[in-house]
Amino acid sequence: MRAVVFDGVVLGLQFGLLGVGLTLVYGLGGVLNLAQGQLAVLGAIVVALRLDAGSAVVPAVLTGLLVAGTVGLALDLTLMRPVYRRTGEDRVLLGLLLMLGVAFIIDGVLVWRYPIEALTLRIGGDPIDILGVRMRTGSLLASAIALGVGAILVLFLRYAATGKAVRSVIQDEEGAQLCGVSPDKVRAFVFALSGVLAALVAVTRSMTSPVTVNAGIDFTILALIVAVVGGLGSVSGAFLAGILLGIVNTVSAHYIGTYVTTIVLLGAAAVTIVLRPSGLLGAGRE
Amino acid sequence: MLEVAELSAGYLGQDVVHQVSFAVDEGEAVAVIGSNGAGKTTLFRAVCGLLRPSRGSVRLDGRPITRRRAHDIARRGLAYVPAERHLFPEMTVAENLDLGAFPNRPRAARQALVHELFPRLAERRRQRAGTLSGGEQQMVAVGRALMSEPRLLLLDEPTTGLAPTVAAAAYEALTALRGQGLTIVVAEQQVPLALAFADRGYVLESGRIQLGGGADELEDNPDVQLAYLGIT
Amino acid sequence: MIRRAATVGRVGTPAVRAYAPVVLAGGLVALLPLRYGDSRAMMGVVIGGVLFACYAVGFNVIFGSTGQLFLCTGALAGLGGYASAILSDRHGLPMVLAMLLASLMAATAGGLLSWIAVSRSLGVIFTGIVTLAFALAFQNLLLGQRDLTGGETGLIVEAGSDTLLGEVVAPFYVFVVLLTAYLALYRALQRSHVGWAFRALRDDEIAAELAGVDVKRYRVLAGTLGSGMIGLAGALYAHSEGFISPSTFSFGDVDVLVIVMLAFGGIGSLLGPVVGAAAFTVLEEWMDSFNEYRLIIYGSVILVLFLALPRGVVPTVQGLVERLRGRPGRPAAPVSPSPVDTLNPG
Repeated sequence: MRAVVFDGVVLGLQFGLLGVGLTLVYGLGGVLNLAQGQLAVLGAIVVALRLDAGSAVVPAVLTGLLVAGTVGLALDLTLMRPVYRRTGEDRVLLGLLLMLGVAFIIDGVLVWRYPIEALTLRIGGDPIDILGVRMRTGSLLASAIALGVGAILVLFLRYAATGKAVRSVIQDEEGAQLCGVSPDKVRAFVFALSGVLAALVAVTRSMTSPVTVNAGIDFTILALIVAVVGGLGSVSGAFLAGILLGIVNTVSAHYIGTYVTTIVLLGAAAVTIVLRPSGLLGAGRE
Repeated sequence: MLEVAELSAGYLGQDVVHQVSFAVDEGEAVAVIGSNGAGKTTLFRAVCGLLRPSRGSVRLDGRPITRRRAHDIARRGLAYVPAERHLFPEMTVAENLDLGAFPNRPRAARQALVHELFPRLAERRRQRAGTLSGGEQQMVAVGRALMSEPRLLLLDEPTTGLAPTVAAAAYEALTALRGQGLTIVVAEQQVPLALAFADRGYVLESGRIQLGGGADELEDNPDVQLAYLGIT
Repeated sequence: MIRRAATVGRVGTPAVRAYAPVVLAGGLVALLPLRYGDSRAMMGVVIGGVLFACYAVGFNVIFGSTGQLFLCTGALAGLGGYASAILSDRHGLPMVLAMLLASLMAATAGGLLSWIAVSRSLGVIFTGIVTLAFALAFQNLLLGQRDLTGGETGLIVEAGSDTLLGEVVAPFYVFVVLLTAYLALYRALQRSHVGWAFRALRDDEIAAELAGVDVKRYRVLAGTLGSGMIGLAGALYAHSEGFISPSTFSFGDVDVLVIVMLAFGGIGSLLGPVVGAAAFTVLEEWMDSFNEYRLIIYGSVILVLFLALPRGVVPTVQGLVERLRGRPGRPAAPVSPSPVDTLNPG
């Protein structure tokens, strides 16, 4: 049982990281990035291609992250302009639909050009014993990265000037403007960041299981569930929700079955929306 | 310092403010008075960039700022304190003030100034802004605006929801700031306070400027007395 | 923006003029077998097109009329299809009764979703997420409950194969009748006080409440009705096709298409579903040879559509026609409000 829970934590940390990008973009501008999963897969495929071409691991990963981040930035600077010009439900709807279109395009391009490509990162080394459970080095490295990046992110948001600017726009966009913060620049930055985070999660996932070209939609749904349960706009909420859902995932998959597990996770999101729309740690933004 | 010419602005294609013109010189204190719905907030929002005007122009130090975005205008030395304050509720007083100095204005000196002006804020440094009382939130809002070393301060109904003593204290603080060379424009429904504080004033009704003149003149004006001062 | 593309009330027009488009559309569609009646494959495509038009009308009732973003059209159709198949094949119910019961189940599911959304005041996104969760959960249910549903391999539907529905051309006419009935129903709704209430609540919810419109009731009504329509269409399809599987009703295969078809045709308009279904059925056929580019094309169409023609074909054309006639029509593109604006005059 303990092994299952540990696996759940490993998975959960990565879930959290995946949800963070989505939740930040939503908290900033009400846009639900339905292409989050595709950005992750895009990053993974780029890494895989670089590795195939003979590159070393670290440069390949950095390239993948860079590409995903750049695409995220490009999307914000182009497609999101008409979206941010609208307000309220109009903005939400248009953002949703445009990102859906983008998701299709990225998915389509990747499946068309690299239908059999997949990313697998083998991390060498013997399993290490943690509290009586043998953990693979891949799992441990993935967890360490997710945890580390998460910590850096939280610290960044709390103490860095840009980080505070991000929080200010989430909490009160007009107030932020009055302080000289440009919401557009902040949103562009965070969109790019969410692309990088998505790609990073794909990379860490590949340390334990292959990430294929059609994993995009699964990643997106996962990110969505985590962000909703954690509370849209809350970074710590996303991590908390991620870990909880990760554990639920592995426990349910182990003892019951995969189909039911998906239903359980979806149910968690639905129940959260119905009972407590602001999520676990959300700031009350619907 | 601030020149507003024939400014019209509104919402959803409908103008609320019509061809408003006024000017503010450096070091002046000007009051814009009018009843609820007169268009004061719309006017201020159009001036500071939160609302795009449909016609007219705004100049700051001779340079046009008409279609610029609010954050751009804020960085040029025009600070706006909205009626709803727009504080960051989850952040502490200190963090709120800190953001006022975004991105890299000298903080320490300004923060000392704000604490001197509003000693209560120094005490409540670590308290979340969302949990403060109305008067304290108002202080944070003004303090935050001051952190950017503005040359022109626009305040929209700063005494809303404040007890009379607190309101009076607020205007004392504004007078002190005037003494330090800050140019102030204030929109008010509480006319006596505003006219006592300001040098000049404008009366805004139905989105148009109906009257303008020295504060004393306005106080003595029978129409103003009837409409705003309750003197028959 | 998108939601304001609804036609303005036509309560004043006489019934004949009001229902003319319905009859016209039905008539034109009914002519199709003249061209394609020989090929079973082509008839299958044509039936598919009419089916999706029916789905789109149902979705139009839910989303176009009351702005509820239901991302579970496929699941509702699947509920209708699978329930009807199981009730008639396994439990021996007469086919028509099974279809009606299945439709009722879909209506109840949709009504329930509406009711949840309404009582918790869920906005567009949350309604979308909850309905999406329902859709995905339903999909997993179909895949997981192999004994009941046949799982991934699908279910052969016996009932109905010995009736009209088993033939090549006849089922098409059944679908045309259904579509015409749906369009007539939509038109009738538009002209009734229900339609007025729908328009009011979509324009300004608070004002509508103050005017006496029970927004909750009308939303749930729209959700129930639209879902029932979708479920019935799904049930009919199950019996006419003779075989259903989870992919017949999946999000990617149904919902996406329906949304795009309706957006193209015009959300909230009467003939939007027909125009959209026609356009995309043709597109699908044409793209058969470009199967790898399918997703890319759909994605691009969505982007171009919502950026350039946010109101859809039918309302845009109507607007142009009205302007040519000299009447003050709506502008071709919606007016975007000023940046960062809240309604706070004064």
